[in-house]
Amino acid sequence: MAIEDYEGDMKMCCRCSACKYIPLQMIRHSKFSDVCPSIARYNFHAYSGGGKLLIGREMLAKGFEYTDRFLHIVFNCLLCGACDVSCKYAMDMEVLLPISELRMKCVENGNTHPTFEKVINLLRSKGKMVEGEGKRSEWAEGLNIKDVRREKVEVYYHAGCLSSYNKEYHHIPRTVAKMLKEAGVNFGIAYEGEICCGGRAHEMGYREDFFNQAMKNVEIVKRSGARVIVTSCAHCYHAFKVLYDRYGFKEFEVLHITELLEKLIKEGRIKIRNSLALNVTYHDPCYLGRLGEAWIHFKGKKLPGIKFVFDPPKTYRRGAHGVYNPPREVLRMIPGLKIYEMERKKEYAWCCGAGGGVSESNPDFALWTAERRLEEAMETGATVIVTACPWCEQMLKKAVASRGVDLQVWDVVEVVERTI
Amino acid sequence: MLPRSMYKEIELVVGPENVSDDISIKYAYRSPYVTVVLPGSTEEVQAVVKICNKYKVPFKAQSTGWSFYPPEYDFVLLDLRRMDRIIEIDEKNMYAVCEPGVIAAELQAELFKRGLTCNIKGAGSNCTALALSGHGHMGITTSTGDRNDLATEWVTDEGEIIRLGSLSSSGEWFCGDGPGPSLRAIIRSGGVITKQATKVYHWPGPTYYDLKGSSPQYILLEKPANFMVRYFSFPSIEKMLEAELKIGESEIAFELMGFCPSMVSSNITTSNEEDFTTLQELLKEVQGPGFMVIIAGNYPEDFEYKKKVLEQIIKETSGKSLKIVEDPKVETTLLIQCTRISASIRETFRAGGAFASMMVQGQRYDLHVRWLEEAAEMKRELIRKGLVIADEGYQFGWAEENAHLGHTEIFCRYNPYDEASLKAVQEWVRKVAERALEGCFALPRPGILPVEMVGPRMSNYHLWFEKIKEAFDPNYIGGLTGFSYVGVDSASDHTSLYKRKGPAP
Amino acid sequence: MLQGLNEFSGSIITDPSVLKEYSSDFSFIPPVLPALVVRPKNREEIVETVRWAARTKTPLVPLSSGPPRFRGDTIPSRGGSVVVDLSGMKKIVKVTRKNRVALIEPGVTFGELIDALKKEGLRPNMPFLPRSTKSVVASLLEREPVLMPKYHWDISDPLACVEIVFGNGEVFRTGEAAGPGDLEEQWAAGNFQKAPYGPGPMHWHRLIQGAQGTMGIVTWASLRCELLPNLEEPFFVPSRELSKLLELSHWLVRMRLVNECFIVNATILATCASRRWPDDYETLIFDLPPFVLFFNLAAYEYFPEERIDSYLKGVREILKNIGLEAKKALCGISAMDFLKMIQRPSPDPYWKLRMKGACHDIFFITITQKVEKQVFVMYEVLRSFNYPSTELGIYIQPIVQGVNLHCEFNLFYDPNNKKEVEKMKSLSWEAVKVLLEKGAFFSRPYDHTARIIMNRDAAHVAALRKIKAIFDPEGIMNPGKLCF
Repeated sequence: MAIEDYEGDMKMCCRCSACKYIPLQMIRHSKFSDVCPSIARYNFHAYSGGGKLLIGREMLAKGFEYTDRFLHIVFNCLLCGACDVSCKYAMDMEVLLPISELRMKCVENGNTHPTFEKVINLLRSKGKMVEGEGKRSEWAEGLNIKDVRREKVEVYYHAGCLSSYNKEYHHIPRTVAKMLKEAGVNFGIAYEGEICCGGRAHEMGYREDFFNQAMKNVEIVKRSGARVIVTSCAHCYHAFKVLYDRYGFKEFEVLHITELLEKLIKEGRIKIRNSLALNVTYHDPCYLGRLGEAWIHFKGKKLPGIKFVFDPPKTYRRGAHGVYNPPREVLRMIPGLKIYEMERKKEYAWCCGAGGGVSESNPDFALWTAERRLEEAMETGATVIVTACPWCEQMLKKAVASRGVDLQVWDVVEVVERTI
Repeated sequence: MLPRSMYKEIELVVGPENVSDDISIKYAYRSPYVTVVLPGSTEEVQAVVKICNKYKVPFKAQSTGWSFYPPEYDFVLLDLRRMDRIIEIDEKNMYAVCEPGVIAAELQAELFKRGLTCNIKGAGSNCTALALSGHGHMGITTSTGDRNDLATEWVTDEGEIIRLGSLSSSGEWFCGDGPGPSLRAIIRSGGVITKQATKVYHWPGPTYYDLKGSSPQYILLEKPANFMVRYFSFPSIEKMLEAELKIGESEIAFELMGFCPSMVSSNITTSNEEDFTTLQELLKEVQGPGFMVIIAGNYPEDFEYKKKVLEQIIKETSGKSLKIVEDPKVETTLLIQCTRISASIRETFRAGGAFASMMVQGQRYDLHVRWLEEAAEMKRELIRKGLVIADEGYQFGWAEENAHLGHTEIFCRYNPYDEASLKAVQEWVRKVAERALEGCFALPRPGILPVEMVGPRMSNYHLWFEKIKEAFDPNYIGGLTGFSYVGVDSASDHTSLYKRKGPAP
Repeated sequence: MLQGLNEFSGSIITDPSVLKEYSSDFSFIPPVLPALVVRPKNREEIVETVRWAARTKTPLVPLSSGPPRFRGDTIPSRGGSVVVDLSGMKKIVKVTRKNRVALIEPGVTFGELIDALKKEGLRPNMPFLPRSTKSVVASLLEREPVLMPKYHWDISDPLACVEIVFGNGEVFRTGEAAGPGDLEEQWAAGNFQKAPYGPGPMHWHRLIQGAQGTMGIVTWASLRCELLPNLEEPFFVPSRELSKLLELSHWLVRMRLVNECFIVNATILATCASRRWPDDYETLIFDLPPFVLFFNLAAYEYFPEERIDSYLKGVREILKNIGLEAKKALCGISAMDFLKMIQRPSPDPYWKLRMKGACHDIFFITITQKVEKQVFVMYEVLRSFNYPSTELGIYIQPIVQGVNLHCEFNLFYDPNNKKEVEKMKSLSWEAVKVLLEKGAFFSRPYDHTARIIMNRDAAHVAALRKIKAIFDPEGIMNPGKLCF
């Protein structure tokens, strides 16, 4: 894979600006029409999905020039995929993939962001992408969870770096573990053997490092005997489900915890005992939603001629088949709880600001993005924002603190925990 | 490259984060000569324009910047994206005031809540909401282009702020004309429109479309009350036009959009392969050219009456309803996409990456239609030779203002990176433009033929225009605003009818 | 003076008694005798006249309506002016049913046009009871408001294209008439000069409208025509509350239910509808409600009765919501008779002259939220000048499909009473000032108040002067008008 592989897609961009907005017929309010945080913040067309495609195709033709502005454009992209979805409403072309390749090209040529270098060094030395003292599996103390290094399980639970190393988010994997136990799921964790999935390394543009993590993770899961990976982090979900498959590492079924919870609750293996009178809104994590759609291995080719058609017909990932309903179903099954949807949701949800490594490289921009999302959440009248990714939760909580508003941010599992 | 002192002065006006001439910015804006400036207010626009005058560096302004033919010398591009406020919606007096960075979808979304709608350019609601954006599918009801202008705030090419109409007299937006002659005549000749009031119209539909499903197939589970969408084909273009005129005169349609079958199939399908397969199916069913009609009743009796009249007209003109559009799923897809104008891209760019269009507004019956029938014949020849993407080879168009006026167009879809395709299309455009003059049909769109060839056939308007430009743009630095064209790339003088005097700076 | 001019064959008038008729009108513009009057018969004669005037720097004052005139725009402002009277150019050049357009010379009156269009099943969108001598082209160029807001898409409607001789003697055609080809070639191609925009990025007709002859002389104009209805059903809606009628007007126009639609007060209705003056007037003014909205439902070719029925359903719903009632007659005035009357020019004598012999009009453009206040302050001004409020005519016309309102006050007075004339002049001056402060927009400034209106925005004036300098470099076209 290289940016050259997407030359045709980059040339297809007709500069229509659809990539900047949610699908046009979904716009109900002028305040919530934007879908691309990068151009919403920086305004030059270059920051939009289409802008980056134009830059990519010109640089491919004329040579790459790694100016400060160019790198600012490349690294202030959340790689959230919203532009990809909006463009593909009308067009048959890839948008996010060439944008991602553009970043990789920069990194491969020694032009990375200084904060990324720090993070990647941490990954290489310690197998994690989040700072934090203490053991990776500290969250699991006292829970008596099976150790996959010693025994076989059916389900491998991967907590992820943020939930493991940031004590503020320990409650997520702890709650997941308790629920899975109660439901009688035969699961385990790798304790100190768990390593980063590599997903955020891929986002940052470090493909080789991602490969390294992938190969190691595949081994861990294989040795555990599990056929299913479950995670409560959207970035990890995307890594395992999409990236591993894309690069030929797919060997397992991958579920997000919300998908499993939906099943377990419906089967009665987790019982909702209490009602919860709450008005909530749900924030779709990008990497669980539009980017969580399964990878499509296309082996056809463009037919000769002037039409852009393929044989066999090419199926594009357009964000339709991400994980949208399971978290909502889980919430709907809670008596007394009402969901008030934000205007930008599902495949055209506004990003929380954490994607693409931006929460590390440009925390101000990440916070700005999260604050925009917070404004939207507040319009619903909900008192709680529910999400399904610790990175989203972290960003939204930062926005709440920054704005000083009285709004809670919970993970889906936290909501369920209050009812069981 | 701008003089550094000029760059610095611009930085002081808009802030360093809102000006750039970096190579990546140039690539994104498709010109090696551009310096992009993002003004946030009328005052900033004025200040930058004055700086351009001081240094005699040309400038152009853009709202969303979709189609753009950059000049081949250093220039400043005012990207007006940051000026994105809807300033006022006056429901009682049926107008809305916007800045250029507001897109039509945003304005319409706000208007829908108030039982109103606006005209939207045929290219899509991703274009500016300003009236200058042009002619669109709903024109039979929502008029067209500059005829929707009201009061306007305009920065001239010299950097003067002129407020038109009631804005100059009392700071209000309701009228753009006077006192005395109306300067609405010249606001598309140059300068920068920084705020504008535009007419809006009654909307009998829902306050929003409650769409289900996911991209790229959103659906309305229930069609709004008193709405109907149909596509009718006719045995000949004459019959089609007869029906179109009758529908216009009887005032029954909310929208009459003269799609070709290929545009229908593009609009309702979600991939190129599906598009071309569907087209073959449609072509088996249609008897000839046709149009889509949206009937919208203000109340049930109104709806029933309009439907009855439509039925009668179709019967009289031997029209035939396209079955697929009677399917509620397809019917509502077209309703949404042809009122929000959200799928034009499918009809034009998706197939090959580019399209070249010849379009004209004005007297459709039978003047422009006859002209573009010749163009259609030439297009069909190109299809036979495999030089443009094959479709049925029809022209299309739509009625405007109860069919008093209309928009008539034909385009060829092609791959701009295929040499033969590109050359054939450019040649086609040129020939069609020449026929416009030879046959006394129309003024061809600017840039295809030399202005010295066109102007004398059109009351020497180019000479008068030159004088207007001289008066309002004495330093010869302003770009042309107004209707922009997508499609075939053209020489840089496409950007202005007015030829620069002397060498480029 | 005549040197160079008398080579053309148009008639030239030097008779002082005739010249005197052109030296003044019902406005407060001081009388100025023209040096002569020319009456060209065709474009070539107009071109010759203009070129001669440009060479000799002779001011020209074009006009195309017959007397009586009211606005002062056709009174010379300078001595030595030549009036170019086009009222004798009366050709109705072409009427095209399919494209609903007519092309006429400047001297054609509404009565003449209506009769010609009727033969093709067409009609013009007319102003309210123009005088019988009023030129249609003049009305179009003045941007006079029209009775059917539904068909008033743009303030420039129903004007389509014009041919004009600019002040430098060059001929130009606007819109679709610009070319390619001359008129004959265009007609052969099927072009009937319908679209007003262009050529190119400019919309030239807008600079000619509202210019009061200061840019050039129009030799012909084309105008958009509407269909003659097969069936019509007009109504009056009386009310003491103007606000309710404004609400009604908004919905009737917004939903495009009605053709003719406007509001008048009792004074206007009584003045127009009186058959026996002054007896009928005195009865009517006593009996009529303060305000009346008049609207007309119309149907065309297809199922006309059903169309009227369906419109009536909608209208009744709106009336019910607002708490109003529609009537087919009011105080003995039949709505149908009234409709027939307003679909033609005013019978002679011109209705505005019936009450006292003269009428001064104050008119502006406004919006729903402001007009009641503007009516109120107008009454206050009248009170301060002891002008009887029952003699004030009020006409409110929704225009541009309801986007704004033309509001017109008609002040009747005796032109032979010097004191009344002086009082009227001062009253109108004061009224314009007060109304300006209340947000009235005088889009069409005339008479002695034109300067205070034009001078409100220096940038606007500067722009207009640039344009004027292009089309009329010698400044010969009606100097002294507007801001020129």
